[in-house]
Amino acid sequence: MNPWPLIRAALARYRWSALAFVLLVAAGVALSVAIVSQERALRSGSARAADRFDLIVAAPGSRTDSLLSTVFLRPGSSQLLAPAFSAALLNNTRGSFVSPLAFGDSYRGQPLVGVTAALVEHLSGGLAEGRGFASRAEAVVGSASRLQVGEKFHPAHGVQHGGENHGGDDALDAHGVEITVVGRMQPTGSPWDRAAMVPVELVWETHHLPGGHAPGSLQLGPPFDVAHTPGIPAAVVRTANLAEAYKLRRAYTGKESMAFFPAEALIQLYAVLGDIRQLMSLLAVVTQALVLLSIIASVFILFRLLMPQFVTLRALGAPRRFVFAVAWGFTAALILAGILAGLLGGFALSFGISGWLAQATGVSLQPRLGGEEALMASVLLLIGLVLAGLPAWRLQRLSLAGALKDY
Amino acid sequence: MKPSVEAPAVPTLEAIDVGTTFADAGGGRIAALEQISARFLPGQLSAIVGPSGSGKSTLLHALAGIVVPQQGRVLFGDVTLSALDESRRDAWRLTHCGMVFQDFRLIDELDALANTLLPAQFMHLRMPAALRERALSLLADFGLPPRSGPVARMSRGEQQRVALARALLLDPPVLLADEPTASLDAENGRRIAESLLAVARTGKTVIAVTHDEKLSALADQRLTMKAGRMVLPHPVRQP
Repeated sequence: MNPWPLIRAALARYRWSALAFVLLVAAGVALSVAIVSQERALRSGSARAADRFDLIVAAPGSRTDSLLSTVFLRPGSSQLLAPAFSAALLNNTRGSFVSPLAFGDSYRGQPLVGVTAALVEHLSGGLAEGRGFASRAEAVVGSASRLQVGEKFHPAHGVQHGGENHGGDDALDAHGVEITVVGRMQPTGSPWDRAAMVPVELVWETHHLPGGHAPGSLQLGPPFDVAHTPGIPAAVVRTANLAEAYKLRRAYTGKESMAFFPAEALIQLYAVLGDIRQLMSLLAVVTQALVLLSIIASVFILFRLLMPQFVTLRALGAPRRFVFAVAWGFTAALILAGILAGLLGGFALSFGISGWLAQATGVSLQPRLGGEEALMASVLLLIGLVLAGLPAWRLQRLSLAGALKDY
Repeated sequence: MKPSVEAPAVPTLEAIDVGTTFADAGGGRIAALEQISARFLPGQLSAIVGPSGSGKSTLLHALAGIVVPQQGRVLFGDVTLSALDESRRDAWRLTHCGMVFQDFRLIDELDALANTLLPAQFMHLRMPAALRERALSLLADFGLPPRSGPVARMSRGEQQRVALARALLLDPPVLLADEPTASLDAENGRRIAESLLAVARTGKTVIAVTHDEKLSALADQRLTMKAGRMVLPHPVRQP
């Protein structure tokens, strides 16, 4: 038997209702898929962004705040490590390198970070263009920076776009120094792609702090002079191996500082993210269940309108199972189309959200459809196909003799 | 019983003392058919006439195996149709009994060919070429284009001819028509009546419930019903 021509005819007859049903199911599925897919993309994107930061040392406080301001370059206030402690930390040779992170300045909304050349090299793994900075007035920009190699700019105080103190005029907020872009990093998939990296000595100098070395010295990077090194907000420690990383973490966790692996703080964020996702997923599932039920109820009503056709089929000799197949196939086709459209729509939604988030945060997100979404869609499909049997079962039980009189 | 050499190629459809009741609105029963006996011979057009509510359609449904009589039997040759279970009656109706309705009961969104092929969809996942050929041939015989868009766009006369083609697709020995000309104009009604007679002349048993005098005048046998009873059985005339 082949019920498809009749299913197609019924779908054609009630095409607008059918389209509305499909869109309803699709909206519910898309929402769920986008939530799950986006959460996974956020996890992997943020983990990838933090991957190159082995150990972070900062003043005691919130690890999450510290993570956001160091790895993700989010604006925020942070305590400074003590100058002597900072100098000792930066001169520590137990790690492969230690780089200070001196943030707080910007250029047209792009963060400016004072670092050492070793960190630039480590983050980028070889520059995409130009060379590393060799003097205090030079900068290397991230792959997504609007600044071009060879371009000169004046950084502004503060991290808000358009300057902090003068109503959005960078020129009025600008530091007196002119910086030349000499290199561009490879993409890192992190907010550092939009940043400009300068020698940390320049940041100290423009803020009228000791320059890390003896006055008049043009030296960049370690070793730093204990007598002339100011306090720093945070530092990144690159370690040779995991054991060393744990040793340093223990060594720098105390009254004066805290040391943590970015993954530790990310796990806390993921836990919150996961809770939100679970709540939203639950809401989405409940919504989908309600949508499915409302569709099944609507199908009951639609089938009353289609009753003359079903009665005709029976009168012509169609077996009950054929009528069941037509009725079930009609509802199942709606649900299947809705779920498929929802999967595609959810992926598109997740893709759109990722683009927006990447634009807003600089974290590169790569959403994809995974097993969890496929499982969720399959379960929903299974439930839908079972529920679709309800109106079909009721319909195929009709008394033909009575129905022929009524319809 | 050994069949005799004189037995017709198509078995006779026969109602013997058929009676049935329906529930009324007050919870009681009303007699829809009482002691109806009639024979319908192959090659003949039989007309069942009578006022509305006289039981004509109920008798037709009993002959089609849709209604199972509470008394009596419906026979098709040596098969007691009324004793078969529902699925067997469905199967019998599909292969042995074409149905034509007053309001055609076509699937509006399908074209003439798809509507004609509908009974075959109950049996075949892939349409056999022979059935498709037969459908095209029937439509051509009735002067209908096979692919002229949804049948809803056709005239009522054309729609009833599509319904007739559908009823004949599986070459059933019996054709039952319930008021086949009632919703047609005089010209289309005449064409359908003549078509039914022509079908009967191919050796099929054709039974039409009708109020149409012109159709009943063409019939070889005319049965008149009133209040569930047969009041004026007309003698069967040889075609």
